[in-house]
Amino acid sequence: MAGIWIFAEKTEQALELLQAGQLLLAAGMGGELIAVTWPGGPRPEDLGAAGAAEVLLLPPLADHQPLESYGPSILEEARKVQPNLLLFSSTARGKDLASRIAEGLNAGLCSGCNALHWNSESGTLEMERLLYGGAAVQRIAPFTFPVLATVPPGTFRRGTGNPDREATIRHLPAPPVSPVSVLEHKPKERKGQDVMAAKIVVCAGRGFEKPEDLAFARNLADTLGGALACTRPLSEEMHWLPEDLCIGLSGIQVKPDLYIGIGVSGQVQHLTGIRGAKIVCAINRDEQAPIFAAADLGIVGDLYAVLPRLLQALNETAAP
Amino acid sequence: MPVLVACFKWVVDEAYIRRTSAGELDLSSVSYKISDYDRNALEEAARMKEASGGSVLAVTVGVPESTKGVKDALSRGADQAFFIADPSFGMLGASETAAILAEVIRTRIGNFDLVLCGEGSSDLYNQQVGIRLAERLGIPCLSFVQKLELEEGRVVAERRLEDGIERVSAPLPAVVTVLPDINIPRIPGVKDTLSASRKPVVTIGKDDLAVAPDAHFRTISLAASRLDRQCERFGADETDIRRFIGALRQKGVLR
Ligand SMILES: Cc1cc2nc3c(=O)[nH]c(=O)nc-3n(C[C@H](O)[C@H](O)[C@H](O)COP(=O)(O)OP(=O)(O)OC[C@H]3O[C@@H](n4cnc5c(N)ncnc54)[C@H](O)[C@@H]3O)c2cc1C
Repeated sequence: MAGIWIFAEKTEQALELLQAGQLLLAAGMGGELIAVTWPGGPRPEDLGAAGAAEVLLLPPLADHQPLESYGPSILEEARKVQPNLLLFSSTARGKDLASRIAEGLNAGLCSGCNALHWNSESGTLEMERLLYGGAAVQRIAPFTFPVLATVPPGTFRRGTGNPDREATIRHLPAPPVSPVSVLEHKPKERKGQDVMAAKIVVCAGRGFEKPEDLAFARNLADTLGGALACTRPLSEEMHWLPEDLCIGLSGIQVKPDLYIGIGVSGQVQHLTGIRGAKIVCAINRDEQAPIFAAADLGIVGDLYAVLPRLLQALNETAAP
Repeated sequence: MPVLVACFKWVVDEAYIRRTSAGELDLSSVSYKISDYDRNALEEAARMKEASGGSVLAVTVGVPESTKGVKDALSRGADQAFFIADPSFGMLGASETAAILAEVIRTRIGNFDLVLCGEGSSDLYNQQVGIRLAERLGIPCLSFVQKLELEEGRVVAERRLEDGIERVSAPLPAVVTVLPDINIPRIPGVKDTLSASRKPVVTIGKDDLAVAPDAHFRTISLAASRLDRQCERFGADETDIRRFIGALRQKGVLR
């Protein structure tokens, strides 16, 4: 039994995966927790403190090489060590690397895995994921190990960590030069509010006619002390808001106390992102819109009439 | 003249999936479609051909009933289709699909420049097939692409990543997986549909394949997901809006 490997682009994602890994080991899965990182990735100290017994450290990449170039180095080591499970945070690069390594190991990869359970009696790893945009939940078990999973950020709680704990560091060899070269990297500007951490999320959908009109939604978010988010068409097709504000299957999954969808139809892929919301509200002029079946409270009406009234009533009745 | 291969999947339209009172998945009234982002892959291939010549070959693995999808793909600008069909190909895993696609692309097409896939299918959304396919073929893969160009034996693409946009270049042949905002897929007209029925389709059966990939997973359970919500309705007049705010305060989610 050769343990669990984790790989994440960001430290907070790595901490989540380490926590998930620790729970599996505690349930009797066996082996050690091992983190793979690189200069510029999560720091070995942080990984050790969060429970990694060993850190596999990759050498720096040559200039203009994409992160996925590390694939062959990780694959070769995984072939030798044969870990039971490799967990990747499901960022674009994480998903890409996981798929390459899974193919190289001739192993299964559970994409978008949102629950992991080690059944110690039968010795099976039970993995859960969504199908049909979120309309169905599938539990699967691998026939063989190693097996891989990509885990959406925010799925598991982060562990607390212990700064006195230290991982042993082992260096992995440099990968061969990749035929893919990076010509340019245009970093994204930092936006203000963190939707994933917000207690109240106001989500704008395609019911808004013009980008200026989003001011209504932003106003509501500000009044409630919440964050503004959107559906995929708004970020992807119209480009009115940045993609990291898109909630759903291919965006972020949020767990606020209150979600208010405005001009959102409630297609299953979007609803998948708000399953963890405590209270779901909807404002939509179409009483047949599927979001009403997925909402606790719904206002049937034109958003252009409802929002000004809602804002006014909120301001008037604001708790002293 | 580039040879462009566009892979697509014929899938259940998830909008018609229902949940029975027992919590089971009800697929009795579903219709089918070419998976959303595969339509983007087909469209991008068709546009590349329209801009610079060459040919578009559409490839799919599926159950024999997917013939409608093959015709749909041909009406979206593909010149020829390869239809790999078997009744057992309904719920293939990503690695199995990639292995079958790789064999057919290697043995039946051979000389190709670019393979285009959607980033993930709308039914399983594994987001693995294109990347695994590239590994199988031993060629570069550029995933999550929102913009694409061919240049002198290379493909140049913009990948959308969490921390920004990465412009990358790779030698051909290569695989790309495309995001939905790369283009807006056409809606085929009557003429497109008519001409589609005259285009050649190569049908390949399970017995014609050398690979017989095994599944990596077994399904323990499959159930409709639950949404337990209260579904209380309010009107849009001022009285109702005040009632709505009152209800939110009562639930303790508003200050
Ligand atoms: C594989 C896959 C992944 C996907 N991932 C995601 C994802 O992560 N997130 C996501 O959001 N989508 C995702 N989608 C897309 C999803 O299927 C829907 O297309 C999308 O969520 C619809 O967005 P919308 O509700 O804003 O737009 P629409 O469906 O167009 O709905 C607009 C709504 O606004 C209402 N409306 C219009 N005008 C008004 C008005 N004046 N007042 C009040 N209401 C009004 C209409 O009645 C309608 O219900 C994905 C799709 C696929 C295939």
